[in-house]
Order: sequence, then C-alpha cells, then structure tokens
Amino acid sequence: MTRMLQRLLGPVTLASLALTAWLGLWVTPPDRVQGDLARLVYVHPALAWVALYLSFGTATIASVLYLWPRTRSVTADRVAVSAMEVSLVFILLTLATGSIWGRPTWGVWWAWDARLTSTAILGVFALAYLALRRANDDPTQRARRGAVFAILTAINVPIIHFSVLWWKTLHQGASVLTSTGQLNVHGSMLWTMLIGFVGFTLLFFWLLRERYRLEVKRDRLVASTVDEALAQRRREGV
Amino acid sequence: MIAVLVVVVVVLLSQGLLKSLNYFETVDQALGQRASLGTKVIRLEGVVEPGTISRTNAGASFTLTGTRSNHVFVSAQGSPPQLFQANIPVVVVGHFVSSTSLDFVGTQIMVKHTSNYIAAHPNRVKAPNGTTR
Repeated sequence: MTRMLQRLLGPVTLASLALTAWLGLWVTPPDRVQGDLARLVYVHPALAWVALYLSFGTATIASVLYLWPRTRSVTADRVAVSAMEVSLVFILLTLATGSIWGRPTWGVWWAWDARLTSTAILGVFALAYLALRRANDDPTQRARRGAVFAILTAINVPIIHFSVLWWKTLHQGASVLTSTGQLNVHGSMLWTMLIGFVGFTLLFFWLLRERYRLEVKRDRLVASTVDEALAQRRREGV
Repeated sequence: MIAVLVVVVVVLLSQGLLKSLNYFETVDQALGQRASLGTKVIRLEGVVEPGTISRTNAGASFTLTGTRSNHVFVSAQGSPPQLFQANIPVVVVGHFVSSTSLDFVGTQIMVKHTSNYIAAHPNRVKAPNGTTR
C-alpha cells in the first residue's frame, strides 16, 4: 500500500499540476479588474504556501525534533536540510512570479514593502542556513548549529504572514486565509486555485523525498570513501 | 546570545521601527500631517476618483480620495500602469507643492489592487448608474 502510494506520488503530482495549468489557462474566466493577469493567482500563492509554511515549517519542525534529545536522529537532520533546500527554491520562485505579476499590475517589478522585504529576508536566511552547514565538517555540530539557526529564523514566517495586516503594504491582503474567514476568490477560480495548492503541495513532498534520498546516498558515499582511505593506509602498512 | 537578540528586537520596536515599515501614507494621514510633511517625498495612497482622470503627454492628472472625503489633486509624470483606472486604489510617489497645498506632484504611479477575484462578464450591459446586469 505504502509502496503504491510512493509510486503514485510523481504521476499524481504531474497530473494535478497539468490540471491546474489547463483550468488556469483555458477554463477559468478572466478577472474583472486584472483580466488575464489574475491567472497568476493559481501559481503564486501556492508557491508561497509551499515556500513559507510547508518547506520552512518542515525544516523547523525537523530541527526541533533533532534538538530534542528524545527524538534526535540523523533522519530529522536530513529532513531539515532537504526541506530547507526545497524552501529556498520555492522562495525564489515566489519572488520571481510575484515580480512578474507586480510589473503589469502595480507597475513596478519590486517594492520595499513589508511583505516583499520580509520574504526576501527569509530567502537570505535559507541561503545562510545552507552556507552554515557547508562551513562545518563535523556532522553533529553541523546538525545542531543548523537546527538552532533554522528555529531562530522561523520567527520570520509569522511576520511574513501577518505583514499585510500589521503594516500598510503595496502587496494585497489575503484572498483565502483571511482574518474574517471570507473567501475573496470566486467560483471556478477558487477551485482551480485549490487544485493548484494540492499540486504544489504534492510537488513539495516529491522533491523532499528525492532530496532526502540524495542526502542518504551522499552520507553513504562519504562513509565509504573514508573507509576506503583507511583500508588503503592499512595496506600501505602505515 | 539569544538574550542580546531579544534586547535588540525590543529596542527596535520601542524606537518605532514597526511604524516606519508602512509603505505609504493614506490621503487622510498625509493631510493630517501636511504642515510637517512640507515638500518631502512620500508615497501617498488613495482611491482614484471617477471622472477626474485626464491623461496628458507627460502622464496623468486625477483626484485621490481618502476615506473621510479628503481630496488631493495629483499630477503625475510617466505613463500609468495598465490597471490604472477610476475607483482603483493607487500609491503615488511624489510630494505636495507646499505645506498648505492640496496639489501633489507625482513621479510614479503604482496600482494597489485588491485581493478580490471575480469573473469578468464582458457580455453584460453596463447601466448608466455604473452597475452591470
């Protein structure tokens, strides 16, 4: 059962993203104000959802699990680094699609408002996390420092979420997760948006799984090269 | 280390950092502090009043309305974004002509659209009172 679900992950992801593209580009109507530009609503918020909450959230939870002595495991550390790398990719995609959307609607590629700036800062945090891990060869120390850094920087995630409420921003407020619970997206546009959310969520899990497998292989490779080097030294009679 | 971070954050908060993170001043706010604003460059937000837009070679002029029927008369340079239209909220970068004037000289118009997504119905008829049916 689990194996079948695992096998289906890739195809189902591709199918739901293809469905989103078809609904988003051909089936849904243009928006009253934004016209065809509104079609980015099927992509950009879903990318942000994966970037901020799913990936950065997964990296943070895995980091907490690693730091907590009872749940400490290599698996938690591998999940953390894998999720953070996926997060960086999605943060960059969020910024790129937002910029592409901003130019024709707002009239500018970029604005230093609270939402955009705090998101860019999260991207820098994700980069810094990956840099921090590269700067350390000791696996335990690397995992611990990375976990602490991830948890500290996760404070920025709720700041990004509430930035459009706390401050006056050029970026629009929430369309779906509004404070009043009101849905601001209508009809087939809403359904397409939600299918997009499912598609990109599945894509996250797919990428996370592949990245995790890569991490396992990398660890094995490092271990085997060390073993080989030791064996060679022994043969040489050192 | 964490204690230092907390102190830094608290100090920044108390210094009004959070307030300064606002991207723009609304028409109401700007008029309220017009004397102190003088001709300082600000970002001014308001809704474009219908029937006041006139496009020129250099840009566009229009009236911005606040919530308490405050008005600012904007003349902005450069071509406005494609979504620029009546009744849409915009942010204009620029300055008041003087500390007592209601005239605002803009160098850039940004459209601040809402988060509402409703299907356009191009075949519907627009009634004279502005509603569609």
